[in-house]
Amino acid sequence: MVMQQSTPSSTTVRKTPARRHDTGRLMQEAAMLAPAVILLTLFLIVPFLLSFWTAMTNQPLVPRPTPVRFVWFNNFIRIFQDDLFWTALWNVSRFTFWIIPVQCGLAFATALLLHQKLPFRNLLRGMFFLPAITSMVVVCVIWGTLFQYPTGPFNQILGFLSGGAIQPIDWLGDPEWAMFSLVLLSAWQAYGFQMIVYLAGLQGIPDELYDAAKIDGANAFRRFWHVTMPGLRPTHVFVLVITTIQAFKLYTQVAILTQGGPKSSTETVVHYMVRAGFEEQKMGYASAVSVILFVIVLIIALIQRQLLRRFDV
Amino acid sequence: MGKRLLQSLILSSALAATWAVAAEKTAIQVMHQGDPGFVAAYGKVAERFEAANPDVDVQFIYAPHDAYNEKFSAAVMAKQLPDIMELDAPFLANYVWSGYLQPIKPLIDKDLLDDMTESNIAQGTYPIDKDLYAIGLTDSSVVLYGNRKYLEAIGARIPKSVDDAWTREEFETYLEKLSKLEGVKWPIDTFRGYGIKTEWITYAYGPILQSAGCDLIDRKAWKSEGTLDSDACVDALAMMQKWVKNGWVVPQSAGTNQFYAEGNPAALALGGHWVYAEAVAAMKDNLVVLPLPKFGTKGASPNGTWIWAITKTSKHPDIAAKFISFLLKDKEYRAYVASQSGYPGLKSFAAESPLYANGGPMAIAFEQASKTAVARPPHPAYPTITSAFMQAVDEVFNGGDPKEALTSAAKKIDEDIEDNDGYPPFGDQE
Repeated sequence: MVMQQSTPSSTTVRKTPARRHDTGRLMQEAAMLAPAVILLTLFLIVPFLLSFWTAMTNQPLVPRPTPVRFVWFNNFIRIFQDDLFWTALWNVSRFTFWIIPVQCGLAFATALLLHQKLPFRNLLRGMFFLPAITSMVVVCVIWGTLFQYPTGPFNQILGFLSGGAIQPIDWLGDPEWAMFSLVLLSAWQAYGFQMIVYLAGLQGIPDELYDAAKIDGANAFRRFWHVTMPGLRPTHVFVLVITTIQAFKLYTQVAILTQGGPKSSTETVVHYMVRAGFEEQKMGYASAVSVILFVIVLIIALIQRQLLRRFDV
Repeated sequence: MGKRLLQSLILSSALAATWAVAAEKTAIQVMHQGDPGFVAAYGKVAERFEAANPDVDVQFIYAPHDAYNEKFSAAVMAKQLPDIMELDAPFLANYVWSGYLQPIKPLIDKDLLDDMTESNIAQGTYPIDKDLYAIGLTDSSVVLYGNRKYLEAIGARIPKSVDDAWTREEFETYLEKLSKLEGVKWPIDTFRGYGIKTEWITYAYGPILQSAGCDLIDRKAWKSEGTLDSDACVDALAMMQKWVKNGWVVPQSAGTNQFYAEGNPAALALGGHWVYAEAVAAMKDNLVVLPLPKFGTKGASPNGTWIWAITKTSKHPDIAAKFISFLLKDKEYRAYVASQSGYPGLKSFAAESPLYANGGPMAIAFEQASKTAVARPPHPAYPTITSAFMQAVDEVFNGGDPKEALTSAAKKIDEDIEDNDGYPPFGDQE
């Protein structure tokens, strides 16, 4: 009896300091989380909620004499009825489908190459990474000259190599070519980033695995397929998601080189949004576009995650 | 020790004195655009102005042409409006309606006001209260430039005045003949190289629509549907689409100076008055200046340019006005503008520009402005009007359907007006 009595009492004795310990720890954790939570709320959650709110008003860019009204989902309805928006969405999808194999493939290939024990490989890595740290604006201006029609360097080279058989291509002025030209330029500018990610991934694969594979008699291709590729699974996922999100935000190249033309063939969702918000001064409408873009990107990222999980990548 | 103390005392009092002088200086900020030549010219005028008014400090804020309105909106949002702002005339209605500008009639030197040409007064006037909000040294126009050699080779008639401008049939016949002429790569340069966001499309191609008998918007009811998508507009834009399809127009990506580039690959040029200075330098006597063709029963030509206004938030409107007056009277600035074939907006400046005087090489441009100039719609919805129209033209030039493109542009414009409750009191005018 005494023992039985003492047991509950001892548990209560044990419990009290434990609870005190918990609250103390909770406070600590809260204090450590606070800066991040406050900053995230201030700069991420609040702006997002604000943009959702703005999306349902006819808020102009700058204060106007007419009242700001709550228009419910009118902006969204208008966007969905606007052919140009669907063109823009189709264009970024096209851009994404092209840029993922081109840019990631290029990055993967150079990363594999630069992972070998080449002489000057750090110098080479730096060189390949250089475009990624060059401002996109500068790259656009330079490539704009390279793309020039009909006498730009690209056309000259093509003409020379084909002995005049290839007619000059209007890279940025032909609706059939403009988006493809932007893919080339963007892939070249940005693949350095993915290359670095892949290099880091490659360095994360332990050498022992390669040694063991060698001892088992695996040739170079089998080592690549059964050691390198599985070792890079998380890297592939990361690169794919990042590249998709970046591709959906295509803007700078369009703003500088094509302004969405010719024939809206390079109009993108972000460019459409900026045009609505800053040129036509319709902030509410532009906010609605941004909300739609957010939802689209979120859905794509979720689908990609699920797919990759299903295939055990 | 005492000496050092004295020295530092003297030094600090001297510093305080200069600080006081600096503090006494009134700063006025001028937001502007312009190519490097003009920017340099403004800088020199400011130096002369500061020399004459040692208590004023003129600060320039440069904003690039292509994104000028966006930069201005940013200034509004940040409550950092300059004292003086340069603005493109068709945007005046939007700025005045939004409440950024103040009337300048009581502030600007009276002799300058008396000196303004009719078109200059028109471009600076807000149509609702008929008050003057901005003034400039210049106005603008677009003419048709021709290469004399090519025109003679195809036996084209050379009009002597606006009244006997080419008709649509004549113009298209000549384009076709020129396209077959040796040495001509493109019959006409319409300066598509200026891009699809620089206001050029609305400014230069809008009058083609007006000449063909329609407009961007009904200027009484302020409604675009039924006007911009009318048969006359669709037909005019389809005509321009045909020129492009036939390969008669210099493509956008070929740059902007094909008319006077080496070998003269373009035979005609639908170009602003500012093209004249460079073209005549390259082509000498071979350059002919022609009036814009008549595409329907009447002629139409653009006007309006960058003019100077004073913002409502300016703390020193009197000094700002003093600077604008000083600028417009500055001899060296005027000489520079004249050398750039600047189109006169002041009668006295016209007298100084033999280029535009009777018998002068650009007299046609001056005549055109008085006879056929149609201002761009002076309505606060103009930012949307021009954006939607430029979009439609780009669509059509690249093979889109004119009716569809113009219908969608008209719808966009009307939606914007509706969103702003008709921009009162504009809607009340009906």
